[in-house]
Amino acid sequence: MAFDGMSESSDEMLLLRYAEGDPAAARALTERLTPRVMAHASRLLGDVAAAEDVTQEAMLRLWRQAPHWRAGEARVSTWLYRVVANLCTDRLRRGRGVALEAVPEPADGAARAEEILQAQARARALQAALDDLPARQRQAVVLRHIEGLANPEIAEIMAVSVEAVESLTARGKRALAAALADRREELGYADD
Amino acid sequence: MTDRDDTTRGLAAHFDAARRHPARPSDALMARVLADACAAQPATRPSRRPAAWPVQLFRALGGWPAVAGLSAATLAGIWLGISPPAPLAAVAAPLLGDPGGVYLVDLAPGATFELAQEGR
Repeated sequence: MAFDGMSESSDEMLLLRYAEGDPAAARALTERLTPRVMAHASRLLGDVAAAEDVTQEAMLRLWRQAPHWRAGEARVSTWLYRVVANLCTDRLRRGRGVALEAVPEPADGAARAEEILQAQARARALQAALDDLPARQRQAVVLRHIEGLANPEIAEIMAVSVEAVESLTARGKRALAAALADRREELGYADD
Repeated sequence: MTDRDDTTRGLAAHFDAARRHPARPSDALMARVLADACAAQPATRPSRRPAAWPVQLFRALGGWPAVAGLSAATLAGIWLGISPPAPLAAVAAPLLGDPGGVYLVDLAPGATFELAQEGR
């Protein structure tokens, strides 16, 4: 979670303060949630420009929802993941965008360049393989294994049963493993 | 666990790499999102400071109508006390008694004796 000076406040508390007109809450929510939404959208879309559009639209929907937000009814992150998924689905139906350039330049100068390059190569390879998955499998795998959500929350976001999430995740992982199998040596698995 | 299956071995490193290298929002996107937030934000609700006590009393009594009635009743009472109309005075006299009678009541008869002795 990004440091925003209000890191002790929950997303929901900040959203309620935003709805009451607190400008600091607007900034804190922007700095906290926008990177998460952007990362998730780019993983689902494989397209940075489209992910930026989706991110802005998802956040705009959050701002508009704020005055109507019912405390304790849903988690803000769950609501956002669902909105992002719907927006991404709409985008994908309209056709894919340009190729992903999602992986940024390394910011940590202390880490060894070789490790960073290898991690970037793995991230790119994974994204390429994710792009070839069916949308629901991709969403389930990303939510489970990259965002780190629990299956019940994923089931809520995707509006399916927990068993369906497990099935989607398992099939997605098998497909990813098969897609990446040919690149194991190239991606540095010899020493894993 | 599925993570330990041969078919999915090695994926953990990919997932870890993806987590460490997410797509980050540009400064321009952050600025646009914040601008949207400010534009869509409801206006600040005015803070409700407690009113001063005369105002609270005024409200507690019921506002202008109640205070006007109360004022009129007070003034009428004062006026009747200062200058009671003749019929009212006639009715009140038997109830209040003769004002001069007050001086005929000796509330402390012993005091007269003591005062007389001190004056001697």
